[in-house]
Amino acid sequence: MDKKIISVANDFSKTPGPRYIKEGDFSGELFRSKILEPEYLNAVKENKKLEVNLDGTVGYATSFLEEAFGGLARIYSAEKVLAILTIISTEEEYYKDEVTQYINEANEES
Amino acid sequence: MKKYQHSIRFKKFSDRKSKRNEKRRSRFKGYLIRKNIERVEDQKRNPKSKRVTKNRYSNLEFSYTNVTAPTVFSFKKNPEEVIIFISKLKELFDKQKRAFVSLRYVEEVDYDAIVVLLSILIRFKSKKIKFNGDFPINRDANSRLARSGFFTSLLEEFYKDSDKYKVVENTIWTHAEKKVDAPLGGKLIEQASEVIWNDKKRCPGLQRVLLEAMLNTNNHAEIGKEGEKHWWLSMNTDKKNKKTYFSFVDYGVGVFTSLNNKPADNKFFGWFEKLINKKPFNNNAELLELILDGELHASVTGKSYRGKGLPGIKEAFDRNQISNLFIITNNVYANIAKKEYRLLENKFSGTFLCWELDEQNQNF
Repeated sequence: MDKKIISVANDFSKTPGPRYIKEGDFSGELFRSKILEPEYLNAVKENKKLEVNLDGTVGYATSFLEEAFGGLARIYSAEKVLAILTIISTEEEYYKDEVTQYINEANEES
Repeated sequence: MKKYQHSIRFKKFSDRKSKRNEKRRSRFKGYLIRKNIERVEDQKRNPKSKRVTKNRYSNLEFSYTNVTAPTVFSFKKNPEEVIIFISKLKELFDKQKRAFVSLRYVEEVDYDAIVVLLSILIRFKSKKIKFNGDFPINRDANSRLARSGFFTSLLEEFYKDSDKYKVVENTIWTHAEKKVDAPLGGKLIEQASEVIWNDKKRCPGLQRVLLEAMLNTNNHAEIGKEGEKHWWLSMNTDKKNKKTYFSFVDYGVGVFTSLNNKPADNKFFGWFEKLINKKPFNNNAELLELILDGELHASVTGKSYRGKGLPGIKEAFDRNQISNLFIITNNVYANIAKKEYRLLENKFSGTFLCWELDEQNQNF
C-alpha cells in the first residue's frame, strides 16, 4: 500500500500551539481542518496509508495532539483512523503512545 | 547684543555650556528618583526656596499605601511572606488604591520574584492606578532588579490595557498574554539554548511545560470563563552557570478553587467522591501530589493518564526535560525535586511555577 506523508514541522508549523483556534496560533483544530483531515480523506479515497511525522517541531501541547488526532477519530471513528494513520516520532517516542491513546479514547471527553 | 556673542567661538562655548547644564539637570533628576526625593513646590511658586525637597514617603503618605516587600524576596524560599505581600497589593488593586512598594530592606531577590513584581506593577499601571516604589539598599538585590527592567517600568506613567505585555532588558525577558503563545516558547528556548549549549537547540519537553502552563491559565484561571486572565512568564539567563531560570505566574483562582467549582457537565464534577474512595488523601498538599501523578484524572475517568496540564509538567520533570520544579497554588507549596508537598498558612490566589533548564536537560 502506497503512503502519503505529512510533516507537521514542514507542512504546518515548527511551533504547534493549543487545542482550539480561539486559544492561540497554530492550533490542533487548525491543523486537523486544514491539513490532516483533507489528507486523510485523500488517503482513504486513493487507498493509501497516511504517515504523519511529528519530528522537527519545538514541541507539542497534549491538547494539540488530542484535538488533531482524537478530533479526527471523533469524526471518522477510531478504527478507521488507526487503519490509515501511522505516526512517526523518533525524537520523542512517547508522542506515539499519546496519539494512539487519544485516538482510542476519542469518544470520551478530553 | 555684543559683537563677541555672534562669534563661532562663543556659539561653541554656549552649546557646550547648555549641554553640560542639560546633563547636570538629567543627573539631578536621576538622583531624585533614586533617593525617592521629589520637589514639593515648584520654584516659580516659591522663588525663595531654590531646592525644596521632601522625602517621598512623607509627601505621599496620605495618597499612597505603603507595602513593604519581604527581606528575602523569593517565592520558593519565602512563600508565606511573598503571599502576604501579593495579597496586600491585590487588595489595593481591587480597591483601585495607589500603592507604594518599599523594597528598601530587601536583601535577596530571587529570579522568581521579578515576574511577581513586574506583573503587579504592570497590572496597576494598565488600570491607571498609581504605583510607585523605592529601591533596595543591598547592591546585589538592586542590580538584579535593575537588570529585570523593573526600574524602567516604574518610570512609565501608565501601560496601555492590553492582552499582551513585554518587558525585555539585558538577560531577563518578561512576557504576559492571555492566549497560548507557542512561537514565543520557541523563541525563548532558542535564546536559552544559546546560553546553555552555545547553539540553537530544541527542547520539546520544555515547550510542553510552557504550553501546558499557558493553557492551564487560559482554560482554568477564571471560573466559568476562558481566556480571561493573563499569564506572566519571565526567563532569566545565567551564562556563567549555563542555566536558565523560568518563572510563571497567573492571578487566577488557583488549582483547588478551580477544581471545587467545576460545572455539572464537566468530567471533574463530583471528583472528590470518586477520588477519595480510590486514593484517600487528607489535605490539599496530598491532593496536589495525586493530581501531579495523574491519579485524579485516572480515578475520575477510569483511564490511564497521558500528559495533560499539571501532570504533563511533572512528566517533563520526570523525563529530565526540566530541573528544579516548584509549584505554589492556593494553600500548597511543592518542591517536586525533593518530593516536598506541604500546606501554607497563607493562601495564594493563583498558580505559580518555576523551574530551570540546564546542561543536563534533554535537547535536540
